[in-house]
Amino acid sequence: MKNKHLALQPWLGLIARLILGGVLFAAGYLKIDKPDISQMAVRSYEMLPISIANFLGLVLPPLEIALGALLILGALTRVAATLGGFTMFIFIIAIAQAWARGLNIDCGCFGGGGAVAAEDTRYLQEILRDLGLVFLAAYLVRYPVTKFSIDKKPRKMNEISEINGDME
Amino acid sequence: MSKAKNPSGGKDNFTRNLVIAVVVGVALIMLVPTLLSKQTDTSAAIPASVSAEDGYGIVFNKELTDAPFIEIYEDFQCPACARFESIAGEYIEELITTKKAKVAFHTLSFLGGESQIAANAAACSADEGKFLQLHKTLMANQPSENSGAWTSSYFSTLGLGLGISSPEYDKCVGDNKYMGWVKNVAEEGAKRNINSTPTVLINGKEIDRSRAYASLGDFMLAVEKA
Repeated sequence: MKNKHLALQPWLGLIARLILGGVLFAAGYLKIDKPDISQMAVRSYEMLPISIANFLGLVLPPLEIALGALLILGALTRVAATLGGFTMFIFIIAIAQAWARGLNIDCGCFGGGGAVAAEDTRYLQEILRDLGLVFLAAYLVRYPVTKFSIDKKPRKMNEISEINGDME
Repeated sequence: MSKAKNPSGGKDNFTRNLVIAVVVGVALIMLVPTLLSKQTDTSAAIPASVSAEDGYGIVFNKELTDAPFIEIYEDFQCPACARFESIAGEYIEELITTKKAKVAFHTLSFLGGESQIAANAAACSADEGKFLQLHKTLMANQPSENSGAWTSSYFSTLGLGLGISSPEYDKCVGDNKYMGWVKNVAEEGAKRNINSTPTVLINGKEIDRSRAYASLGDFMLAVEKA
């Protein structure tokens, strides 16, 4: 079992990288040219002072694009996965508090956002999706050496194990 | 160094660092201009009817102090705004012409490109005293979002249709004279936590979201009570 995972791990890591990176990149790309909407989406969570929410609304799209690109290319994998996972974790908290407080908003994850009709909220799906992404991020933090990445590869097998923390 | 000893061993750090630098650089190039453009530009040209202290809105009956103050935040491309205009537009126009209310129009541009072009043209028409007419016409003939219908030549022609014949209007539309102002309006809306269009406030308080946007009766009642 362990050995099987060892052989598959770089490929699983590649898939994790592409999914997490692809989602982050797409999320940022779809919002980058609509800064007003992005700001509104953050404001409607009613978690932050307006000025900070507006600032975050401008910062998030390029940040998501950068993290997504790094993950897709496999550069700085562990750092990008940590930050990406942290971002998703914050999103889960934000969505959960909106749900708990009975706000009716769209998560604005891929553009859009703001108030929606009560029956159009998708809190559970959004949280489950982000949980899945946190899991992928955690996997990459634990096993950052993956196929087709431009991160410097360790030269020997035992170094892979060392980085991946597989030392027995 | 060790790479020479071990030519099969991995890619060098230079490529990786270059990629990281490029990615971070591109992100900053996307971020910094946006951050800067989101500052309110107090030197931007504004139409005569605009009042900076009223959130850069186009204000009618500014002199009325004890009448209800209706603030309308809208986007020329937003279908819900067109719906509200078709329901309450005539009544609001009547309030303005009979001087029964102070009214501020905030032409937001959430929907991007053509919302900005339309908002600029609306400001140009305000200088010609034709804002309400242009506003009504645009809302009644709203094309689908950013379909390429709203260009400066469209607004020049529309101006002629509304009886605007001054060359200043054409120039104003063609040069996007009030684009700085359009951004200021958006910025003020963001500062005032306007999270959907239309948003209508009467004396600073939003009207009932579940009713007053969809029914003229409820909206009139809200104005009467104010």
